[in-house]
Amino acid sequence: MNTKLKVSEISKIYPGCIANDKVSLEFGSGKIYALLGENGAGKSTLVKILSGVVKPDEGEVFLNDESIKLNSPLDAKKNNIGMVFQHFNLFETLSVFENLSIDSDKKDEDLRVLVNDILKKYNFKIDLDIPVLNLSAGQKQKVEIIRCLIRNPKVLIMDEPTSVLTEQETDDLFISLKQFSKDGILIIYITHKLKEVLSLCDEVAVMRKGKVVSVSKTIDEKIESLANKMVGENLNTIKKKINNFKNSEEILKISNLNFKSDDPYETNLNNLNLSLKKGECLGIAGISGNGQNELFQILSGEIITDGTSIMFRNKEIGKLNPRERREYLMAFSPEDRISQAAVPELKIYENVALNNFKSSNFFEKGLVNEKKIKEHSKKILSNFSVNTDNVELKSQFLSGGNLQKLIIGRELITSPELLVCFNPTWGLDVGAINYIHETLIQINEQGKSSILISTDNDELLKLSDRICVIYKGKLSKIMNADTVTAEKLGILMGGGSID
Amino acid sequence: MEVQLIKIEKRNDVSRSIYFLTPVLAIFLTLFGGGIIFYILGFNPIEALKFFFITPISDLYGLSELLVKATPLCLIAIGLSFCFKSNNWNIGAEGQLIFGGIVGGGVALLFYNHEGFYVLPIIILSGAIGGMLFAMIPAILKTYFNTNEILVSLMLVYVAKLLLDYLVVGPWSNPEGFNFPETRQFSESARMSILFDGLRIHAGIFITLITVFLSWLILYKTYLGFQIKVSGLSLKTAKYAGYKGKTMIIIVFMISGACAGLAGVGEITGPIGQLHRNISPDYGFTAIIVAFLGRLNPVGIIFASLIVALTYLGAETAQIFLQVPKYTGQVFQGMILFFLLGSDYLLFFKIKFLGLKKNEL
Repeated sequence: MNTKLKVSEISKIYPGCIANDKVSLEFGSGKIYALLGENGAGKSTLVKILSGVVKPDEGEVFLNDESIKLNSPLDAKKNNIGMVFQHFNLFETLSVFENLSIDSDKKDEDLRVLVNDILKKYNFKIDLDIPVLNLSAGQKQKVEIIRCLIRNPKVLIMDEPTSVLTEQETDDLFISLKQFSKDGILIIYITHKLKEVLSLCDEVAVMRKGKVVSVSKTIDEKIESLANKMVGENLNTIKKKINNFKNSEEILKISNLNFKSDDPYETNLNNLNLSLKKGECLGIAGISGNGQNELFQILSGEIITDGTSIMFRNKEIGKLNPRERREYLMAFSPEDRISQAAVPELKIYENVALNNFKSSNFFEKGLVNEKKIKEHSKKILSNFSVNTDNVELKSQFLSGGNLQKLIIGRELITSPELLVCFNPTWGLDVGAINYIHETLIQINEQGKSSILISTDNDELLKLSDRICVIYKGKLSKIMNADTVTAEKLGILMGGGSID
Repeated sequence: MEVQLIKIEKRNDVSRSIYFLTPVLAIFLTLFGGGIIFYILGFNPIEALKFFFITPISDLYGLSELLVKATPLCLIAIGLSFCFKSNNWNIGAEGQLIFGGIVGGGVALLFYNHEGFYVLPIIILSGAIGGMLFAMIPAILKTYFNTNEILVSLMLVYVAKLLLDYLVVGPWSNPEGFNFPETRQFSESARMSILFDGLRIHAGIFITLITVFLSWLILYKTYLGFQIKVSGLSLKTAKYAGYKGKTMIIIVFMISGACAGLAGVGEITGPIGQLHRNISPDYGFTAIIVAFLGRLNPVGIIFASLIVALTYLGAETAQIFLQVPKYTGQVFQGMILFFLLGSDYLLFFKIKFLGLKKNEL
C-alpha cells in the first residue's frame, strides 16, 4: 500500500486574515510528517481542509495523483483520511463499543471481531464494554484512533495529540504511531512542541502566518533551528526604551504559587515566582494552553489561591476577588473580550459599570446611579477614541478594536497601579493594535506597571521590559528584554532550555 | 437518496417590540391549537373556546375569581424571575409555597383562639420566612456541594407535600373534625380581609402588587438587580467583575422562596382558611409558565398571570358545560409554554436551507 497525498496551492482567506496562503505540500506513506507552527500559523486551517471541515477558497488536494473533493467530513472518511482532534468527540455515557459502532456500517459481531484484532495487533488494553467516562485521556484518544483504524485509513492526521496526555501516555502514543507508519499509514502530526517533532517525525514542514516557510528532514534540524523558523526573525519593529528598574519600588511579588485544577483541559501551575517593579512591563510569552489562562485568572482573582503567595503593594491579596483587587488599584483586561470582559447584550454604559469602584459611586446605597455611569462612560469614549459617543449603544455593535479600546479605557480611566492584560490585540486591525500598544507604553511612562500575557512574540518584544516564557504551567527564568531574541523565545516556548 | 441540508444560525439582533409580542402570538396559537383539540373531541371550537375563555369572566364573580387565581401565580412568578434571570433554575416553587403554607398555617393554629391586629402580620411573615428557608436548601446545596438545583428543588416539592399530608392527617388534624384530613379553621384575625361582600377576592392582591413594584425596583434600579442581570447573561463576566456568585445564588433563591411562601400563606389565610391536603392546584409549577410568558418582566408577569389564571377558570367552566375533564386547563397551559418556546426558538435562530445534497451513507 503506497499512499501519496499532495496539497497544491491551497488558499483560505477569512475576513481580516489569510489563514492559508498558497500552501503546497507533499506527503508519502511510510513516513511521519510534522506540521509545526505557532498559534494562528494556519496549521489548523490546513488540517480542517484535509478533513473536509473547511472548504478552501483555492487549490486542490490530490490523493495518489487523483484530485479529490473534500466537501464534508464524510468525504474525508470515504477517501480514507482519518483524523483525531485535540478535543475528543466521544459520548461519555456510552460504552467504548457503542461509541465505535455509532459511525460504522458494519454488523456489531463483525465490528467486535475487527476491533479485537486491532486491539491485539497494536497491544491496546481497553475494555470495550465500560462507559467512556471511566477512561483516562490517553485511553479515550486510543478509542478515537481505533475509530479511524476501523476504516482502514490511508492517512491519519493527529491534531496536537499530546496536549492532554501524561509523559507515559505520550511514549505509548509514539510507539503506536511508529507502528502505524510501518504498516503503511501516512501520518501527519500537528504540533508546536519541538522535542516531539525531533523524536517522532521524519520530515517537518514549518508554517508561519499562513505560509509554509520550510520543509526539511528532521535529522538535519535542531531545536534552535526549528524554533527560529517557527517564530521568525522579523524584529524590525521599534522596541520600547528599556529602563533600569533596579532602584524602583517593587509593586507585585508572587512566591511559590501552585495551582492544581480538577479539569483535565486546564493546566496546573507549578511553583510560580515573579516580581514586578513600578513602571515596568513584564511580558509572558508562550504557546496558548500552557497555563496563561490560569495565570491570568489567578492574577485577577477569578481563581482564588492561598492568601500569602501574592503580595501587591505590600498587601496579601491572594484571597481577594476581582472587585476587591480593583480597590487596591489593579485592573484586568481578559483575553475573551466578547463574552468575558464585556457582555454583548448590554449597553456600553452598563458594560462600563462592570468595573465598579467604591469611589466611582456608580451604585450609591445599592441603587444604580445611571447619570454618573453615563458621564463616566462618555469620558471613556472620548478619551480612548472609541468610534461612537452613544453610551446607550449595545456593545455587540462595536467592532473588535473599538470594543477593546472601551475595555482598556474602562480599566485605565481609574488610574490603576497595575494592568494585567491577556492577548489584548488578538484579531484586531493594525490601527487598533497600534493604538493599544501606544496606550500600554504610555502607562509605563506614567509610572504604572503592566503584565502582558501574550502569544504574539512581536508584541512582547516591542512592549516588555522583561520577558519570561510559560511552558506546561512553569515559568522560565525572567530575562531582560534586550537580551531576548525570537530564537530564545522559540526554544523556551517549545519546551527546550537555554543556558 | 437526496437530503435537504439545514443549518441553524443565531440571529444577530432581535427587535425589542417583537420580543414582547411573541408571547401574544403564542397565546393566539394556543387558542388555535385548543380549537383544533375541541373540534377533534366533537365540539364546535368557537363555542367551546367561548366557554373556556369568555364565560368564566363575564360577571363580577368571575372577574374576582380571576384575580384570586392570578394573585398567587403573579407573586410566585415574580419571585421566580429573580432566579431565572440569573440562571438559577428553581423548579420547586410549589414546595416552597406548601412549606410557607405549613409554617404560616402552624402559626395560625397557635393563635386559633386569639384575636388581634398583630396575628395576621405574624402569620404572613412566618409564611414568607418558611418559603425562604425551604428555598435555601437547594441554594446552599448548589453553592457548597455543587448539586443540581433543578433536581433538588423539584424533589423537595414532594417532601413538602408529604409533610403537609402527615401534619393534616396526624398531629395538626382538627380534634373536632371527625378525622377528616384538615386542620381547624383559622380565627377571624388570621384571615385576609375580603375586599367586597360576596366575592372571594382578598387583601392578598395588595401584597402581590407591592411585591411587583419592589421587584421592579430591585431588578432595574439597584446594584443587586444589575448583578443578577449580568450573571444571567454571562457567568464568566460576573466572575470577572468580582460579583459574589455564591451569595447571589442564595439571595435569589431566598427572594423566590419568600414570594412562594407568601403565596402559600395568602391562599390559606385567604380563600381556604385552614390547612388541608390540596392548598395549591400546582400554582408553583404553573407560575414557571407565567414567568416565561411574562418575559421575566414585572409588568409582563402581571398580564401573563391573568391569562394563565383564566385557563384555571376556563377548565372549571368547561368541565361543567362541556363535560370535559378539568385537566384541559393544564393542556392549555402546556400549549402556551410549547408555542412560546417554539416561537422563541424561531425568534432567536433562523433556519437556512443549504440546498439538496446527495447522501451516500
